[in-house]
Amino acid sequence: MKHPIWLRSTLCGLGLAFASHAALADDISFWARAADAGFVEPLVKAWNAGHPNKVALTVIPNDDFVTKLGTSIAGGSPPDVVAIDLIFVPAFAEAGQLTEIGPEAKALPYYKSLSPSHLRLAESGGKQYAVPFSAEGSVLLYNKKLFKQAGLDPEKPPQTLAEIEAAAKKITALGKGVKGFSFSGACGGCNIFTLTPYIWAAGGDVLTADGKKETLDNPALRNVLGTYRRMWEGGYMPSSSKTDNGANFINTFLTGKVGMVGSGAFAIGLLKKDHPEIEFGLTYLPGSQVGQWSSFAGGDSIAIPAGSKRKKDAWEFIAWSLSEEVQVEQFAKNGSIPVREDLANNAYSKLDNRYVIASNAMAKGKTPYSTHFNQLFNDPNGPWLAMLQEAIFGKGVDPAIKDAQQRFRKVLSQ
Amino acid sequence: MSIAASLRLPRLPLSRRERAGYAFVLPCVVFTTVFFLVPLAMTLWMSFNHWPLLGKPNFAGLANYLDLLHDESFWSALWFTTRYTLVVTPAIFLLAFILALLVHRAVRFVGIFRTAYFLPVVIGMTTASLLWWWMFNDQVGIFSAVLMDLGLIDEPVQWLGETNSALASIVVMVLWKAAGFTMVILLVGMQAIPQDLYEAARMDGARWLQQTRFITIPMMRRTFALALTMSVIGSYLAFEQFFVLTKGGPMNSTISVVHWIYRASFTYFKLGYGAAMSVVLLLILLVLSVVQMYLLRDESE
Repeated sequence: MKHPIWLRSTLCGLGLAFASHAALADDISFWARAADAGFVEPLVKAWNAGHPNKVALTVIPNDDFVTKLGTSIAGGSPPDVVAIDLIFVPAFAEAGQLTEIGPEAKALPYYKSLSPSHLRLAESGGKQYAVPFSAEGSVLLYNKKLFKQAGLDPEKPPQTLAEIEAAAKKITALGKGVKGFSFSGACGGCNIFTLTPYIWAAGGDVLTADGKKETLDNPALRNVLGTYRRMWEGGYMPSSSKTDNGANFINTFLTGKVGMVGSGAFAIGLLKKDHPEIEFGLTYLPGSQVGQWSSFAGGDSIAIPAGSKRKKDAWEFIAWSLSEEVQVEQFAKNGSIPVREDLANNAYSKLDNRYVIASNAMAKGKTPYSTHFNQLFNDPNGPWLAMLQEAIFGKGVDPAIKDAQQRFRKVLSQ
Repeated sequence: MSIAASLRLPRLPLSRRERAGYAFVLPCVVFTTVFFLVPLAMTLWMSFNHWPLLGKPNFAGLANYLDLLHDESFWSALWFTTRYTLVVTPAIFLLAFILALLVHRAVRFVGIFRTAYFLPVVIGMTTASLLWWWMFNDQVGIFSAVLMDLGLIDEPVQWLGETNSALASIVVMVLWKAAGFTMVILLVGMQAIPQDLYEAARMDGARWLQQTRFITIPMMRRTFALALTMSVIGSYLAFEQFFVLTKGGPMNSTISVVHWIYRASFTYFKLGYGAAMSVVLLLILLVLSVVQMYLLRDESE
């Protein structure tokens, strides 16, 4: 026993309070983050319709996911299965809080075609602790109607960051509350997803490959922050860009009054289904020269927390979620990208070229590795968000980067 | 047999009376031990350890406290909380005192007003914060909508999104939430002042303002001490309103000490460090309370 009983029971109580509709004792408990609810809920429904072992799903708010999973594990009552943002897997695996599932995973006939970034982050000390669950790549969405009105070619989206700035200026000039560009300026996670790809595309980075050191002082990062600052000061962004904590990550674009926004592949399905009136295009997040682009290869991995008493049943559910039946008929059909490369070209992706761009973005994208990811990038009071806010809305790019370097080093040294 | 003798308690063996006494205080002792002393001792012990949420703790001596000395973020959170307390405490106190004066006299319907002023206290802080979060919201909130309907502003205000208005918004919400509680404490103090003092004052021709100045306020010193001490402690321990309404933003301008403790413990998973901060905060509150009690002591005693 790692913690004294009083601490365990307190944490357990906390965990129970969070998972208010606690699962029945004989159900397989499954936690996923709120962002995934759209495809996870139908998935669980489909499983429960065809299997005697029922799965009880608990949806946890995105920002609280790591905290709640951590407290539930420490409290001795973790869920049996957990779908977790792939970037958090290293921290949990390194702390020994996930069950090794390497042998089972490698026995899957399609193991070799599982998303490599997911697998890379799920490995710790030569052991495999998770498999891919969902895939997501970041892209630039643009409103074709506004492009046309502003005299831009709707079939030729911006190919460099400078072109984005120029297009944002022209679109903003349309007036009547129309803005050229929008982003969630008070959301760290949103911007590691949609802002860092501009930096990567232009050859810069925020961390070294092993995730142990910051590399913030580089011209690519300076240029991206400077461009955002000019777009903010020039009034090309709506005022909500400064204050949005991610709640309206995609919503500003849905109003039809914003020209461009960095987003993810998930937006394709959402826009097609709920906003057929918005004529939108999709392109890669570009660098500083034509031909440069990058993407955040993200999504969720699925794992069995240490302490789960239903390892066998849990694995059965996980293996089912990777089957063609689920990846194509559940995920691809509803507009997300399969995590198996052998299923990337499926009946549904062929229908819409935009999925091909999203799949490419995912496949050739980059995933930063750090065991401090939550503290650095997702924490609303963390150094990454503080840097963005100071650089774009506050005292300026150079002092912001200087402060952030110190704060990054402090977190990384822990 | 004298009356005094008949009233004397039955002569029980001393040990039995003692046992009865212990039996009476036992529930309280158990409660305090389980829910205060043991957690306090554990917090102290944890603060001397590196204690990760996931993994094994190991003894660290004073390392957490030494780290704390150099942790600028902790001190700036403490300074922010102090400023918040300095704004909120007098504001609550003044409003509560005025409310108490208004509902002090037994006039018609006074019960309705007392209840109305007290009602926000009954709502949990988290629930109240969520309620106000909606009211402050720029898209659906009532404040921006009303101001726009009145033509005072052209576009919605980001109440919680701008550095200047975020703290002010929270102060307004806390006033609404906490004034009723202080009002009740003050009301009890007011009711305890003997009526003949006022009668005598009226005979001497003292007006209402003079009665308040020379009777009500001096007679309520101890009540003031209680109300202020509780208010200061409550403000220093503020957490839910900041966690729900601003999450410490914008630009980290509204991070309270308890929020920082929460963050160290459950974002950084460093329970030992969180415990060390809690101990320091406890000591600060202890000193503050003693100072307040001393300054507001009743000199006649």
